[in-house]
Amino acid sequence: MVHLKPTGCISLAFLLLSVLFGCSSAREETDRAGEESTEGPFVLGDLVKPFDPPTLEELEKKVKENGGWVDQPVLDSLELLRKRQAKEPILTTVDEALKLHNDSEEDNAKILSALGRLPNDHSEVDFNAQITRATPQALNNQNPLLASTMTEFEVSGLTSFGLFGFDWKFMPFASVDSVVSWQTSKGGYYDKVIMRDDLLWSDGTPITAHDIEFSFKVIMSSQVPIRAQRTGTDEIKYVKAYDDQTVVYFHNNPLVTNVWNVNFSIIPKHVYEQSISEDPTLNDSDYHVQLEETPVTGGSFEVVNRDQVEVVLRRRESAYMFKGKQVRDKPFFETVRLRIIPEASVRLLSLEAGDIDEMNLEPQQWSDQTNGDDFYRRCTKARGLEWTSFSFQWNGNTPYFKDPRVRQAMTYAFDHAEMLGIHRKGLDQACTGTFHPTSRWYPGNNNAIGVKIEPTKQDLEKAGKLLEEAGWIDSDGDGYRDKEIDGRRRKFEFTIIVRNARERIDLCELLAQNLRLVGVACNVKPLESATLQDKMFNKQFVAAYGGWGTGADPDTSDNIWGSGQQRNYVSYSSPVVDEFFEEGRKLEKDRKLWKELKAWKDPEVREYLGLDEELAESQPTREDCYAAIHAILWRDQPYTWLFYRNAYHGFNKRLRGYNFSPRGVTGYGPGFGSFWMPAEQ
Amino acid sequence: MLNYLIRRVVFGFGTLLVITFAVYALIRHMPGTPLTLDLAEMSLDQQISSSEMKRLERQYHLDRPWYVGYWLWAGKLFHGDLGRSIKEKKPVSRVIGERVPRTLLLSGTSLILSYLLSLPLGLYSTARSGRLDERVVSTFLYMLYAVPTFVAGLLLLVFFYKDLAGTPFQLEPGMFSRNYSQLSTLGQVLDVAKHMILPVVCFTYGSLAYYSRFIKSNMEEVVRQDYIRTAKAKGVGPLRVLLHHAFRNTLIPYVTMIGLTLPALIGGSVVLEYIFNWPGMGTLYLQALSQRDYPVIMGLTLMFSALTLLGQLLADLLYAVVDPRISYQ
Repeated sequence: MVHLKPTGCISLAFLLLSVLFGCSSAREETDRAGEESTEGPFVLGDLVKPFDPPTLEELEKKVKENGGWVDQPVLDSLELLRKRQAKEPILTTVDEALKLHNDSEEDNAKILSALGRLPNDHSEVDFNAQITRATPQALNNQNPLLASTMTEFEVSGLTSFGLFGFDWKFMPFASVDSVVSWQTSKGGYYDKVIMRDDLLWSDGTPITAHDIEFSFKVIMSSQVPIRAQRTGTDEIKYVKAYDDQTVVYFHNNPLVTNVWNVNFSIIPKHVYEQSISEDPTLNDSDYHVQLEETPVTGGSFEVVNRDQVEVVLRRRESAYMFKGKQVRDKPFFETVRLRIIPEASVRLLSLEAGDIDEMNLEPQQWSDQTNGDDFYRRCTKARGLEWTSFSFQWNGNTPYFKDPRVRQAMTYAFDHAEMLGIHRKGLDQACTGTFHPTSRWYPGNNNAIGVKIEPTKQDLEKAGKLLEEAGWIDSDGDGYRDKEIDGRRRKFEFTIIVRNARERIDLCELLAQNLRLVGVACNVKPLESATLQDKMFNKQFVAAYGGWGTGADPDTSDNIWGSGQQRNYVSYSSPVVDEFFEEGRKLEKDRKLWKELKAWKDPEVREYLGLDEELAESQPTREDCYAAIHAILWRDQPYTWLFYRNAYHGFNKRLRGYNFSPRGVTGYGPGFGSFWMPAEQ
Repeated sequence: MLNYLIRRVVFGFGTLLVITFAVYALIRHMPGTPLTLDLAEMSLDQQISSSEMKRLERQYHLDRPWYVGYWLWAGKLFHGDLGRSIKEKKPVSRVIGERVPRTLLLSGTSLILSYLLSLPLGLYSTARSGRLDERVVSTFLYMLYAVPTFVAGLLLLVFFYKDLAGTPFQLEPGMFSRNYSQLSTLGQVLDVAKHMILPVVCFTYGSLAYYSRFIKSNMEEVVRQDYIRTAKAKGVGPLRVLLHHAFRNTLIPYVTMIGLTLPALIGGSVVLEYIFNWPGMGTLYLQALSQRDYPVIMGLTLMFSALTLLGQLLADLLYAVVDPRISYQ
C-alpha cells in the first residue's frame, strides 16, 4: 500500500490549484537560479579572447601606415528602391492593375509595376494607416538576442535598432538612419563606424557606441542562452567604443564576410548592465520578466500589446523625431498588427475578408483558390523569384548513395517534367544546383567557370546504365537491382523521409514510381517536422526530401556543403569544395593563385570546370569560387535538385509598395519598410 | 464511505505516478528535442554552434538520462513547481492557467447548451417515438453527428466570415475584434460572445446529437419496465410517467457521463481551436508536443490524468447519490 505524507497531498492539491488559477510557485526562482549557479559566476564577454585594444590615435596611425581607410556605403534603402523604380517603365496605371487578374507573367509584371511603386510624395500616404499581417506563432520573447522563431525574428526586425542592412541584391550597407560614416581598413582588419548623435532608445536614453560594445560582449557571454546571434559574431576579435559615436570592430581575419559579422542585434547597455550578472538568462528574474513585458527598444516600432491572439506594434515617435524636429523618414504605418493564425486556410479567409492585408500563399492557394471574383473583390496577388530550392537529399554515408553514379542515376530516373507540369502546375522553374541561375555565383554568369548546366530530363536508360556501372544489377531476376556489399547481397531498397505534407509526399511517391522502372524500390515515410529534423540532424536517414532558402552571402552555404558542417546532413565531403569556400571568403588580395588550388592541380576537375590555361597566374574572383562550388556539386549530385519555389503573395487592394527579392517580400532592405497605404482621396 | 474515498485517492496518486513516469519516458524517447525545431527555423545565416547546443542541453537537463530528468521534474512537482516552458519562457502553471479559462469558455458553454437542449430533445423523441416528426428529428440528428466538425467549421467560416464580410452578420475567427481594447466592458463581453458563436456551434452540435440519442435509447429501455406499466395501469398521466418515473431512472448513466466529461471540458478540441484561431488547451497540447516542450507536456499530462481520475471518482459518487441501491460502505 502506498503511504503518502500529508505534505505530498497538499503539494498536489496546490499544484492542481496553481495550474487552474495560473499562480507560479515561489520555488521557481530559487531552482532556476540554482541551475545557472552550477556554471560559476557570470563574466561578461567571457568567450572573447583577451585583447587590449589600442587607443584611437594608435589605431589611426596603424591604419594609415597600412594603406588607410576605405569608405563603405552608407545608404537609405528606400532611396535605393526609389532610384531603381525611377529607371523602370510604368507598365500600367494603379486602377488598371487593381482590375487585373494575375493569370500571366505579363499581368504579374503590370501589377508589381503599378502597385509596388513607392509614393511620389508624402501627401499620397495615409500615415495613420494600420496594417495587419498574419503569423503562425505567438510572440514568446521580445529580446532580439534571444529570438529563435519566425514571429520573434519578424517582431525584432520592427522593434530592434541596427547599424547595417542589405538590399534586394544582397549588397551590404550601413543605414543612413543610424550611421554617419563606415570605413574599412585597407588590410581588412578593422571596421570603423561613426554613429549619428540623434538616436534614442524608447525610454529617451541616447543610443551610443557603448551599446554596441556591450551587446557584443553579451552575445559573447557563455551563460547567456543565445541561439542564433552568436553565428558570425564569434568571428569578431573585439568591439570597442572609443566615444559615444565611434565604434571600431576588430577582426580576427581580413575576410569579405566580415561585413555580415558586424550586423548583430543591439540591446541597451543602461538597461541590462546591472541585471545581467544576476540573471544571465535575461528572462528569469522579476526585473527581466517585467522588461519582457515592456522592453526598451530602438527600432521604428514598439510592441504595445501582445497575447496569444495578436501582437500590436505602434510607430515610435522618438525613432524619427529628435528635439522636436523630424530627423529620419517617418514609417508609413502608425500601427502594425500581427494576427496569430496558425491555419493556412483560415489565413486566406482572413485575407479575403479584409482582416489581414497581406500573406504568403501556398502554391495550391495561388493556383486553385485565388482565381475567382471572391478573391479579387478585396485582394490581388503577385509572385516573384525566390531563391528557395527543393531537392531529394542522398545520404552519402550509406552503401546506396556513396557512389556519385548512383546519385546521378536517381536524378536521371526522376520525371522532372511531370513534377514541374503537374505537381508544380507549371508555376516553378527547374532547379539546377545550389545557387540560383540569376545570381552572380552561377557558372557562366560573368565568371571563369565554363561548365554549361542544363536542367535534367528523365532518361531511364542512362539511369540504368549508371546503376549498372556502380554494380547494381538484378542478379536474381526478381525485378530489383542488388549488389554485394560486405559479403552480402543487398537489394536496392531504401526509405525516403519527408515532412507530412501532401504536396511533398506526392513528389516522393512520384520518385518511388520512377525508381521502380529502373529496378529500385523506394518507400516513402512521412514524418512530423521535429522527427524529420532530428533524423536529418543526426544523419539517421538514407534519403530525404527538403528545401533551403538562401543566405545573404554565398559563404553561408558552407554550412550545408563544407566537410563536417552542421547542416551537411548528407555528409558530403570534397576537399576541392572546402578549399573554394575558404578562398571565397578571403579578400581578393589574399586569395591563392588558380595554379595553387586543388581544383587546378587535378586535371579532371580543371577540365570539367572548363578553366582557361591563361588563368593559372591570376587569382580567382569570389564569383569564380562559388561558381566552381556550384559546378562540382552539380557533378557530384549529393542532392537531386528539383525546383525553385517562387514567392507567392496575396495583398489587400489598399496596400502599395511591395517588391520581391530572392528572400521574399520582406527579407531585405527596405522590404516591409516600403509598404504603404494611400490616403483617402 | 470515507474508507472508500481514501482508498480511491491513494490509488489515484499511484496511478498519476505511473502515468507521468510512462509519459515522461515516452516523450524523452521521441525523436527530437526542444532545440530541434529552433534549428529548422533558422535561416542559413544563422546556426547554433555545437558548444552552444551542449550548453542549452545542459540547461534543460537534456544531457542527462530520462529517468534522472523525471526525478528532477517530480522533485520540483513535490514542491508545487511544474517547471518552466522552454518555448514560452514562462512558468508552466502560468502558460496553462492562461489557456484554461479560454477553453472553458467554449467547452463549458457548449456543455451547458448540450445538456439543456439534449434533455428536452431526448424526452420529446421518446414521447413521439416512431412517429414521422420523431423520425425527421432523429435523421437530422444522425446527419449532424456524421458531419466532421472541421468540415462544418470551415464551411461556417466561409459563409459567416468571408461571404458576409462587411455586413453586421459577419462572424470572425479569433477571440476578439481588432478594436477590442477600445470597447466598454459590456462591449468587450459582447465581442467575445460574438466570437464564441461559431466555435460553440461546432463544439455543441455533435454532442447534442449524441446526448439526445443517448437519452432516447435509455428511455426506450426504461419505458418497457414493469413499474412503468404499473404506473400507467394505476392511471398516472403520460407526462408524469415520462418525467417522474422513467426519466429519473435514465439519470444514472447520464450522470456518469457528466463525470467523465470533466477532462474533455478542459481539453478542448485541437482541430476547432486551430480553425477558429482560439488559443486554448487543445492547441497548447499540440504545440507543446510538436515543439517538444517537455515541461508543458508533463504539466498538461498531469492535469488531464488528475482530472480523469477525479471525473471517475465524481461519477462513482454521483452514482450513489442518484441510485439508492448503490452504497460504498
